[in-house]
Amino acid sequence: MDVVWTSSENFRYLDCEKKMSSGKLSHSVAILLKALSLGYQFGFEIMDVTGLPSGTVYPALRRLERDGLVTSNWEAEDAALKESRPARRYYELTRTGREAESTATKRYPLLSRLIPEKLEKAL
Amino acid sequence: MSLGKRALESALALGERLVPPAARAEWAQEWRAELWHSEHGRGPARGDGQRVLSLAYGIFADALWLRMDWFQNWARVSAYTCLWVLGAYSLLCVLVERVAEGSWREFFAVVTARFLGSFAFVAAPAIFAAIVTYPLRPLRCNGAHAGAKRILSTRTRWNLFLAAKLSLTLLLGFLATVVATEPARAIAGVRLAWAADWLELLLSALVVTVSLRWALLDQEQRCQKCLRSLSQPTRVGPASRNFLEWSGMALACEDGHGLLHVPEMDGSWCWYDLWVELDSSLTGLFGG
Repeated sequence: MDVVWTSSENFRYLDCEKKMSSGKLSHSVAILLKALSLGYQFGFEIMDVTGLPSGTVYPALRRLERDGLVTSNWEAEDAALKESRPARRYYELTRTGREAESTATKRYPLLSRLIPEKLEKAL
Repeated sequence: MSLGKRALESALALGERLVPPAARAEWAQEWRAELWHSEHGRGPARGDGQRVLSLAYGIFADALWLRMDWFQNWARVSAYTCLWVLGAYSLLCVLVERVAEGSWREFFAVVTARFLGSFAFVAAPAIFAAIVTYPLRPLRCNGAHAGAKRILSTRTRWNLFLAAKLSLTLLLGFLATVVATEPARAIAGVRLAWAADWLELLLSALVVTVSLRWALLDQEQRCQKCLRSLSQPTRVGPASRNFLEWSGMALACEDGHGLLHVPEMDGSWCWYDLWVELDSSLTGLFGG
């Protein structure tokens, strides 16, 4: 029996597709991916725009980061100090995450209407 | 400081203890920034009590997820770790029960009575059913393993590990049931002892079912050579039906010992998972 070798990123994408096809990538995770693709970057911003509770959003972000669909970076301290607030951890989609988001949007077309584009910078 | 804020600070302090030490500082920093936003920015608009409860639950759920993820990664390291963890938890249950009973004599009396009274009653038929319905599969390795010779054969090591894991899992399940039902027995007293017995019987049935299922499923997804848990599940999708005449999922040993092909659908031509052993030249492809 032959085996198809794939790069690690394709590996994850295939895994993500598997989860999608078996229904393991839930509707709430699809909403989360959509919010991230529209530029919402941190936990409360995502909770605010999606209406999902923190008990759903944070564990889902951790899982997506572990699976390589999302990556996170700390905001520069200077930028946060200017606004007199603590630095935030910002999340963004990886290439694999964008592909998963596009698959999710095809599967749930109403997602695009559910979440508005991010227009202004959050406080 | 308001009551809500104090409650969230307490939840954060509790959550911090739950998070694995390596991720603790970053986790706390992130949550403090998020809570600041909730307080000063445009956080989700809800009644204060409901908001605090929801956030406290979020903090706990997040911390618990990190701890569980850490535990799963840790426990999958090797067969020995798996057995050590099960043994350590069993020992912990023994110590808790020993403290509750006051003496070793009482401890052995209680444990024997509970084992013969309820656990064996549930476990014996469940173990029998699990053994007779467990599919007898051919040894999945393709021939002898390359590399250093071992005293025990692959099949012997495989079976010994399965037997040890099943025994320790059931022992842990039994001891955990005894410890968990102790408060119920204390509350029920002599008059309602029958209710505590029923509770223990039901809990035993649940524990035996979960233990057996976990031990057998875990065994199915281990490397034939090093007995580590397999990882990197990859779907070989519909396109492969045309090219490879096969579809399903492939799992790999992180040390590159082999791949496990799990068919999407069982058929007369492929009714069990196929283990494909790799030679050392392919080890680098799967480095964890």
